[in-house]
Amino acid sequence: MTDAALEIRAVSKRFDLGRGKSVLAVDGIGFDVARNSICVLLGPSGCGKSTVLRMMAGLETPTAGEIVIGGRTVQGPGRDRGMVFQAYTSFDWLSVRRNVEFGMKINGVAPDERRERAARFIDLVGLTKFADAYPSQLSGGMRQRVAIARTLANGPEVLLMDEPFGALDAETRWLMQELMIDVAEKTSTTMVIVTHDLEEAIFLADKIVFLSSHPGRVKQEIVPEFKQGQRIADKEDLVSRDGYGTLEAHLMRLMREEGRGQP
Amino acid sequence: MRAPVGRPQRMISGIGIWALFFGVWVTASGLGLVNDLLVPAPQKVFATTWDLFFARDFGGDVLISIGRVLAAFGMACAVAVPLGVMMGAFPWIEAIFAPFVSAWRYLPAPSFIPILLMWFGTGEAPKLALLFIGVIFFLITLIMDHTKTVREELVETALTLGANPRTVVLRVIFPSVLPDIVTAMRQMLAMAWTYLVIAEIVASTTGIGAMMMRARRFLNTDEILSGIIVIGALGLLFDLAFATLHRLAFPYLRTR
Repeated sequence: MTDAALEIRAVSKRFDLGRGKSVLAVDGIGFDVARNSICVLLGPSGCGKSTVLRMMAGLETPTAGEIVIGGRTVQGPGRDRGMVFQAYTSFDWLSVRRNVEFGMKINGVAPDERRERAARFIDLVGLTKFADAYPSQLSGGMRQRVAIARTLANGPEVLLMDEPFGALDAETRWLMQELMIDVAEKTSTTMVIVTHDLEEAIFLADKIVFLSSHPGRVKQEIVPEFKQGQRIADKEDLVSRDGYGTLEAHLMRLMREEGRGQP
Repeated sequence: MRAPVGRPQRMISGIGIWALFFGVWVTASGLGLVNDLLVPAPQKVFATTWDLFFARDFGGDVLISIGRVLAAFGMACAVAVPLGVMMGAFPWIEAIFAPFVSAWRYLPAPSFIPILLMWFGTGEAPKLALLFIGVIFFLITLIMDHTKTVREELVETALTLGANPRTVVLRVIFPSVLPDIVTAMRQMLAMAWTYLVIAEIVASTTGIGAMMMRARRFLNTDEILSGIIVIGALGLLFDLAFATLHRLAFPYLRTR
């Protein structure tokens, strides 16, 4: 038994475009996501990173290979793999509290435990004052906090995030990234995060899986050694560390190589 | 050029256009420019309306008409809401029903009146059937289209939280589309009134439309105009009721 929360084994995905045409989006990808770690999928657009994440969630089916979570092959979506999307997914007709309780409610968690857990995760993402507000009263960053709390309160083994902060402005994005470090430390949740933002990748990742494009393959697995196995809690600290610039430059080179020949 | 108009100005111009309309009408009847038999003065129409309600039991006809609309419209909604949502949520259900439903939409409901009269006689059934046929296929299509616009991410979020398809439909798709369903119902209720009047004019001895046809026989134009005004007022009232329902039931839409 390995200590992997999630194993991606030789996974390929071919999309049918109709009229006998198809495109190979992901080609024989394999890597592990260690338990309680943050794994970042990084790569240029068109590298199939979102497709890989969606296959982990069970929202797409691999054409070949398999994804294994806790010894079981992923067959479809399930509560053991919670997902946060880039687009806002708050249920507008429910208050923040009822949004966060949603997963527990449909899974039959008793009302008392539901309320208690919801309060805890609302507090974790700093929305206690807004627990009774409707999502439409909240800013974009706060709505993503709701989505994160709702997913975590449901108790998934893995938290999957598809460019979760892509729609936010810069300073909100930093705060959200720092929040994720805090959440990872406090909840020991295994996370897989898709991004094309290099700084975000370096800040969040215990391991970066860099994907090449057309079709998506694992180009390189990178552990940010300069962090010396420690997560860094704030971004000023991160960018002033020795080794940060070297890694960012390396990732930029990889991006440029992959982006070559494309606009 | 496209500067918005303030509320006071809108009120004034809104009242003004109606004052102008009645002013022309009163003047034309007062000066004898129009045949009094065909175009009675507005004050006479309002007096007749009063008389109809308080001396001649017109209220009974109005209640019958309202009852017909609500009964037929209620039945149409009872079928259209679940079917429309299911068709919008599941492509395979749409594939079964859509070819049928969209064909019926192109058949004008009044063209069924002769056959409905043959099938159901002259009681309540043919009137309810006409309203039902006239409304239901549009209602199904509108609700299906609205249901399709529920964002895929909401459905996928629910799935990754552990929801099964039934839960997704009942707890995500339906509540998400409900405000649009109420709006669709509001639009189609106006159409139900149109078919009601057609049904009552063609074959009925009771209801607002029947009263108007009786009045025509005796050349009582003032009563016909009263009927038109009452139908208009009822339509407006029901529309306001739906607008109020929408505001009260969906407070979260007001808060942006």
